[in-house]
Amino acid sequence: MPKAPAKPAERTADPVLQSLFDVQEATLSNGLKVRLLANNQTPVVSLYTFFQVGSRNERPGITGISHLFEHMMFNGAKKYGPKQFDKVLESNGGRSNAYTSTDMTVYYEDFASDALETVLDLESDRMRALRINDESLASERQVVMEERRARVDNDITGMMDEELGTLVWKAHPYRWPVIGWMKDIENITRQDCEQYFRTYYAPNNAVLYICGDIDPKKTLALVRRYYGDIPKGPAPAPVLDAEPPQKGERRAELRHPAQSPSVMIAYRGPAGRDEDTLILDIIQYALTKGEGSRLVKKLVYDTQLAISVGVDWGWRIDPGAILVFLELKPDSDPRKVEEVVYEELARVAREGLTERELQKAKNNLRADHLRELATNSGRAHAMGHYEALLGSWRSGLTLPSVYSATTNEQVKAVAAKYFVPERRSVVTLLPAPGEAAGEIEDGKDAE
Amino acid sequence: MATRAKTLKKKAAPARKAAPAKKAAPARKAAPTTTTTGTLTLPTIHESTTSSGLKVLAAERGPLPLVAMRLVVRAGSAADPADKHGLADFTARLLRRGTAKMSADELDEAIEFVGASFSVGSNEDILSLFITTPAEYFPDMLSILGQLVREPSFPEREVEQSRERTLAGFSNDLDDPSVIADRAFTRALWGNHPYGHDVGGSTAHVRTFTRDDVVRFHRERMGPRVSLLTVVGAVSPERVAEEAEKAFAGWEGGPEAPVELSSGDSVATGRVIVVDKPDQTQSQVRIGGPGYRLGHPDYFPATAMNIALGGGFTSRLVNEVRVERGLTYGIHSYFDAMSAGGVFGISTFTKTETTREIIDVSLAEVTKVREGGIPGGELKKAQRYLAGLYPLRTETNESVAAVISDIRVHGLGDDWVEKFRDRLLAVKPKQTVEVAAKYLFSKPPLIVVLGRADAIGKQLKGLGPVTVVPASEYE
Repeated sequence: MPKAPAKPAERTADPVLQSLFDVQEATLSNGLKVRLLANNQTPVVSLYTFFQVGSRNERPGITGISHLFEHMMFNGAKKYGPKQFDKVLESNGGRSNAYTSTDMTVYYEDFASDALETVLDLESDRMRALRINDESLASERQVVMEERRARVDNDITGMMDEELGTLVWKAHPYRWPVIGWMKDIENITRQDCEQYFRTYYAPNNAVLYICGDIDPKKTLALVRRYYGDIPKGPAPAPVLDAEPPQKGERRAELRHPAQSPSVMIAYRGPAGRDEDTLILDIIQYALTKGEGSRLVKKLVYDTQLAISVGVDWGWRIDPGAILVFLELKPDSDPRKVEEVVYEELARVAREGLTERELQKAKNNLRADHLRELATNSGRAHAMGHYEALLGSWRSGLTLPSVYSATTNEQVKAVAAKYFVPERRSVVTLLPAPGEAAGEIEDGKDAE
Repeated sequence: MATRAKTLKKKAAPARKAAPAKKAAPARKAAPTTTTTGTLTLPTIHESTTSSGLKVLAAERGPLPLVAMRLVVRAGSAADPADKHGLADFTARLLRRGTAKMSADELDEAIEFVGASFSVGSNEDILSLFITTPAEYFPDMLSILGQLVREPSFPEREVEQSRERTLAGFSNDLDDPSVIADRAFTRALWGNHPYGHDVGGSTAHVRTFTRDDVVRFHRERMGPRVSLLTVVGAVSPERVAEEAEKAFAGWEGGPEAPVELSSGDSVATGRVIVVDKPDQTQSQVRIGGPGYRLGHPDYFPATAMNIALGGGFTSRLVNEVRVERGLTYGIHSYFDAMSAGGVFGISTFTKTETTREIIDVSLAEVTKVREGGIPGGELKKAQRYLAGLYPLRTETNESVAAVISDIRVHGLGDDWVEKFRDRLLAVKPKQTVEVAAKYLFSKPPLIVVLGRADAIGKQLKGLGPVTVVPASEYE
């Protein structure tokens, strides 16, 4: 479960960010939270709806339901029936999409500012009264299976990532892929989806972010009109984190027709709200942000063992994983590459970063932060992301001050704590001999 | 774009929908004939020329303390020598690996320390160098941009390393079905035309690249008279002109004008290429024929028509192929316009068993539009969709810089943004009938399918002569 947030005393809002976030906040009586931010530079608006539900809220047998259900949210409600959502939206100068992660499901629209009321009508209709029918579920199931084939079954990174998840987690729902196991996608029922809707899509489990060419006062009145009478739902059951401690390195090997071997490494990390998270952000930047970063320089340019290397540290509600992904050259030895990575990580734990590297990471975090906030969509999403994972969107404004106060001692301590073999899982993909392997793969697909 | 590096796949977030077409069309636009609460305004463009002959466009824009710069050189992959495919892109990517004054490491450090980001993009017609930087480092970053194009040193060791990385990347691309399908499509479609090879080239050609090739390409093809610098963000136009003069003074070389290309109107049709990749459970499908060149008067009617056919999520193709039949996660149709010609194409994928079905259903939708155009009500919706979203193209410094430089480089006219919406909304159903007759496969299209040849070969009977090629041909 989330640990205690960092001490508030250390956190002060960045003045530039503060000036960009003149936000009006409200909570309706049904529990729906609303955040409004005017920006009249261009006549467009972005609206984000964050629901606190993701693959973390699933169980075996219905893995992938959060994502499959996300698709169903576009297939008809009470006022706007099948196919109407996108038709009405697009013909009013808007577009929509959504994504599901381990921790949340996020719906968003970008649209011409005069379509605001139409969009609120569309969004509130499906929150109030989604209709799920067997036909659209059957069709959407096929679409999602096709999506899984493209993202996982026919994609090397996808299949490795999936394998890695089952190594890192034994008990926690982070174990299964967000898109779900193929068999589960095939078997999720309409009843499962309906129950999911009632449990997680109530206004008290959602936050609305509207950013752009709006009048906040009028917009809030509209939100009240369209959402105000949607009944509150029961509080969703908390997710229990039963993950036992890891006691040694875990390894798995995949054989697949491929040109080169690949390696993916994960270290069990902290929860998003843990203070260590932000220090890991700095370490992530120092390791792989830019051509001159430590691992890129070492592996791509100095030893020339890899074509690319990346570190992905994504905040999550429960303790997540720090991922190192490497794209190797065809003749690279994966064990040798691993050794280089481990040595570099150990060096950070031993010696920390140079003062210049530390400053460089801070400069880049700040610049990227600003770039993220250049669009309405970026601002609305950033607020939602911070609120969902850090507990408050305001925490986002304080990130620069926390980053800037980070010391090399903290960097060393955090690297020493997390980059140890006992927290490590490794998936290696080795090219399978011959091409016949494809014949036996996926032979049981149900089409 | 010759992107070699695979980005790290996030654990999370499979989006509901495949992103619809983003084949680079020239800028889109909006601003109301409907009633938006605000108007679309672009910052004023200030123009100057450095003593070396480089045109500079500057637009001041807040409120974020950031600046975006874009240097466009008219020397894309179509300018590659006939036996050196990929040289333009390769050269562009090597620019940052050393200059007369700075080593690769020093350049990396100078750019990356301050939080600036540098990237290179190439397409058939142009090379682009982008830097976005915190505003306080604007002069330093512009000065580096100047060094990169004025005096790159192309160290022998860097050329070799880059070549090895590129070759390894080609090899790994064979594991990416979508990339290989695109490559096969481009090659088959354009044949021997300068557009007929991948922007990044191929193993056979890149293997032969030497430092001399790179030096020659830089000297002969990249110069101030075929380039344009655009700067947008928190900096005054006077400052831009002043700093650009310093940064680009003495830049010499390059041609007086870009390479003249022969017309690319005759793209291949009527053939079927099967790219055999036996380990696949899914087929990648590409269907295409001739389109139009950049700046063509058909742009608006064709764009409006295509939104209705296969551009948005409520388009006919998405509805019939994805929504009604569940055959795919993503399908779109697009017009890809380049200086000397263009393509109309469809891109999608489906499980091996339904390969023929997805082709038949897609072609049937195309035929309906070819025979009847887009009726008034449906057309109106497509127009409103695009018009409403156009202002998103002017939200960031980077996108404003892109719009401005596209207008100038491709001669779209300075009123492009202002008139875009009027022109789009003025399209009549009759015009969609005309463009549909022209571009929607009046002759049988070229079809490329990547997947398991043993399982799809027999599905493709009657679509045209079939050629089976192993995936390894496209390394």
